Amino acid sequence: MHKADQQTQQQISDLVEACAGYWELRGIARASSHEMQLELEQHLQQAVCDGKSFEAVLGPNPLAFAEAWAREMRPQVFRGGVALRGLVYVLSIVSTTALLSQLLGHSPAFTFTLFAAYLLTGSGLLALLLQLGGFLAPRVRTRAGREALVLACVVLAVLVLRLAGLQVNWNMALLSWSWPMTIVLLTLAAFLFALDCWRSSQGEHTSTASASWPALRSVVTFVANVGVYDIMLFFGSVVVLDFCRLALRLV
Amino acid sequence: METRSTQLLKGTLDMCLLATIAQRPCYGYEMVQQLAQQGLDLVSEGSIYPLLSRLQQHGYIEGYLVASRDGPKRKYYRLLPAGAKQLEKWQAEWETFVPAVERILKGARSDA
Repeated sequence: MHKADQQTQQQISDLVEACAGYWELRGIARASSHEMQLELEQHLQQAVCDGKSFEAVLGPNPLAFAEAWAREMRPQVFRGGVALRGLVYVLSIVSTTALLSQLLGHSPAFTFTLFAAYLLTGSGLLALLLQLGGFLAPRVRTRAGREALVLACVVLAVLVLRLAGLQVNWNMALLSWSWPMTIVLLTLAAFLFALDCWRSSQGEHTSTASASWPALRSVVTFVANVGVYDIMLFFGSVVVLDFCRLALRLV
Repeated sequence: METRSTQLLKGTLDMCLLATIAQRPCYGYEMVQQLAQQGLDLVSEGSIYPLLSRLQQHGYIEGYLVASRDGPKRKYYRLLPAGAKQLEKWQAEWETFVPAVERILKGARSDA
């Protein structure tokens, strides 16, 4: 039995991470997901050592494999995990951005522009694509190659939009609301997050090991994710706006 | 396109897994090896995991982690009483099904 080389080991890690990301999106409980990752990683390692391909384990479509396993982990009543998790993140990011800009700008109202919506959707999609890009591991061997492919797709999509002559007013206000509405949105986000945590905890019965402080860990991870996203959105908007202005001047 | 044997295996894999676990507790890769030793080669080995989860959801088997000397813990599966009962039921169904198909096939051969 020979040990997998470093590149193969990296491919295995990327595949397992992509599956884990997908299972998280599907609302699989963290403890269950950890066990699934462990089983998959050990199986892939043993299979590679026995000279088998990734396809021999996962079939031609790793995403379909991840979905098939996720489907069996979720009782019917808990379907819709992706939608709820996505809604929680969008609401949290939008409400905290509104809160920060109202606090920092001493403004009574917050305006959600088309540019903010574009940035939010675009960066969310990019984060998702980069995460799920690990599914390409059997075809594109290096991680850099996969990331380059995803980024190339994004650049292509932006170019297509630009060439299609999409002229829009990025400062167009989509929504505008005052302090009470921000508080309502924050409360709603907190309620939905609690609901999502409860829903995830209901799936724990299939796992053999219970993680210590699972609720606290979920809260910390979630707050950190939203915080990082807010910071990225703030700095990203400045950088992207400058870049867009420069690009428009050049084109 | 799926071959006939792949289709047949899909319909019986949960039963084969339950029978394998009934012999002794084992982990995923071990099950695949045991099935292969008996002549059942899976098109995608990972297809056992959704089925193992389903068997676990039904309360036929349970998973437990075992510490390993040369790596992280490994998940083993063992049979539960409900699983043993279900396996008996499936075996009885299979023993009725197989002779019926054999009779039909033998009939077709003698007619030809």
